[in-house]
Amino acid sequence: MKNYMKGLLVGSALLLTACGGEKEQEKTVVDIFQFKVEIAEEFDALSQIYMEEHPNVEINIETVGGGGDYGASLRAKMASGNEPAIFNVGGPQDVYDWQDKLVDLSDTNMAKSAFKGSLDGATLDGKVYGLPYTQEGYGFIYNKGIFASAGIDPNSITSFATLEKAVKVLDTKKKELGLDAVFALAGKETWVTGLHYSNVGLSQEFGDVFAAYNAKTVEFKYSDGMKKLFDLQMDYARTPINATDYSTQVERLFSMGKVAMTQQGNWAYGSINGIDEKLAGNIGFLPMPIVGAKENVLPVGIPMYWTVNKSVTPAQQQAAKDFLDWVYTSDTGKDYVINKFNFVPPYKGFDGENLQPKDPLAKDIMKFSKAGNTISWVFMGYPTGWGQEKLGVELQKYVDGQVTWDQVIKVTKDSWAESRK
Amino acid sequence: MNYNKKTFYLFLGPILIAFLMVVVIPLVIGVYYSFTEWNGRMDQTPNFIGMANYIALFKDEGFLNAFLFTVKFTVVSVISINVIGFSLALLVTKKLKISNAMRTIFFMPNLIGGLILGFIWQFIFMGVFETLGNLTGFSFFQGWLATANTGFWGLVIVMVWQMSGYLMIIYIAALQNIPKSLLEAADIDGASGWAKTRYIIFPMVAPAFTISLFLTLANSFKLFDQNLSLTNGGPGGATEMLALNIYKTAYTFTNYGGAQAKAVVFFILVAGITIIQVAINKKKEVEM
Repeated sequence: MKNYMKGLLVGSALLLTACGGEKEQEKTVVDIFQFKVEIAEEFDALSQIYMEEHPNVEINIETVGGGGDYGASLRAKMASGNEPAIFNVGGPQDVYDWQDKLVDLSDTNMAKSAFKGSLDGATLDGKVYGLPYTQEGYGFIYNKGIFASAGIDPNSITSFATLEKAVKVLDTKKKELGLDAVFALAGKETWVTGLHYSNVGLSQEFGDVFAAYNAKTVEFKYSDGMKKLFDLQMDYARTPINATDYSTQVERLFSMGKVAMTQQGNWAYGSINGIDEKLAGNIGFLPMPIVGAKENVLPVGIPMYWTVNKSVTPAQQQAAKDFLDWVYTSDTGKDYVINKFNFVPPYKGFDGENLQPKDPLAKDIMKFSKAGNTISWVFMGYPTGWGQEKLGVELQKYVDGQVTWDQVIKVTKDSWAESRK
Repeated sequence: MNYNKKTFYLFLGPILIAFLMVVVIPLVIGVYYSFTEWNGRMDQTPNFIGMANYIALFKDEGFLNAFLFTVKFTVVSVISINVIGFSLALLVTKKLKISNAMRTIFFMPNLIGGLILGFIWQFIFMGVFETLGNLTGFSFFQGWLATANTGFWGLVIVMVWQMSGYLMIIYIAALQNIPKSLLEAADIDGASGWAKTRYIIFPMVAPAFTISLFLTLANSFKLFDQNLSLTNGGPGGATEMLALNIYKTAYTFTNYGGAQAKAVVFFILVAGITIIQVAINKKKEVEM
């Protein structure tokens, strides 16, 4: 998720890969237009291996980074007539928009081995139009060392009550533990509050992203629980909350051991590891408990899906499906997916010793996943701009003391209804 | 002298075509879009809805707040930039040894782009100020950009820091154009320093005031990049200026028609205010 935001700000980096091998008539050409700029090089290397094994296929990968830029570039690409065989969609809105172009992928090995629920965001009328890239999850990242010094067993924290108790213990021992505060809450980043935080309650209200996408109104069924968890963070967070941004939260506070917990996702591992490798090896996820709903849960979602374009020839469509299947189900592919892309693939078949995620946050995601303690990401189904620019902004006012929680709920409820009129 | 009509159009033509294509035609199309409902997707035709966007924008609290904030910001920054720019100009036109070095230093902030400037100052306000606050215990340094008030002053400080040096250059040029004879005559008549400033320097630099006020007024009103990078309108939308509000309406809420209507109103506002300002200032200029 953070990569999106960075992408939006930084702009796009365009990477054209060279064509491998000589162009021959009988070769099936598969053009790929993908968005994860972090894997561009490794993905290209993997496609070279595939082309060596399958001399009759030619794969051309083009990478455009950043969520917003990717969408716009994809439209331009489609309009130019030079349509890619494989491209990416982000969620229901994209699936609706591109529906006419999408091939049903239900018959692929990937679709068959995908974890339950991981295909929902790209499934329409029972047809699977998109296959997940990877899983990302977020929750309260906590510092195991600090918890141990304070004598708290992190495994005991499975509900709001136990979390609150731990927070209070940590707060009384702040001085000896060298903490500025218990939490770091990135109030300046409206995606942290408006999208990710709100998702913990709203995901359990809507169930899945399509329900949110189709909802005419939002009820805030777990409003009380959401308020409790937000207040807990707010009361024990380092101030000023509204001036705490992502880098302050993750790099200056959490990675320096100045706070014990912070709400972020597994994408933060790279930043933490870059600052303190020892600390990064000793962290994990705690659940985000909403009183009244299921409490011991971690929100896990799919940031992006692979799709195959209906407009290319049937031979190209088949070659595209074969390639994707090979990436996620062959031994070489699986090795790359785990060890080079650093993905947390939501597919069965990654059981070998060397096919386990290496970083502790990814491991915890797998742990929650396997235990069935995950909830989905529904914020891709919020009305456009609602999460960050309405709810996120109202929560900043709430932190500032300008409005009450009830006012936040009322204003954002009205705004949702207005957008979905 | 007869000038050759062919040459005239040959030289004017290219720039005229460019001007038509990138300014006039988009402006006309833009005005049309402001009467439509459109989400910005090229495969969707804008749907004509008449004045609805204009009616909606006067009920849009965010837009009205952004307008009030922009006005407040403009008043404060126009006054401070001009006062500081003029003072700096007076300072560096004194015959001091370090005058030239000071000119360079004061002008330098102007060479940094707005976005970068915003990020640099964000670090200063949130990082350096915080550290200073912790070291000295002054609460003044704490919580910058976390409240509406510090967000406002943060923006003013950045704007003043950037623009003062530029205005200083304009004022220096004006000050150096004042004939020495006038000042010498005043000296002989026994005029005090203040009297010279009030009755000779001010009227003589009036044309520079016209330009400087115009530049600061228009730039403050249209401020976008520092606003985006320094506060992004936060906290709670309290420091959102008009340009940022329009940008968010278009790109975040994908309401291109509504944003276009706001942009038209914005254009009329900026044009109106600056025309009035220039007209008033022109009257005060004196001819030699």
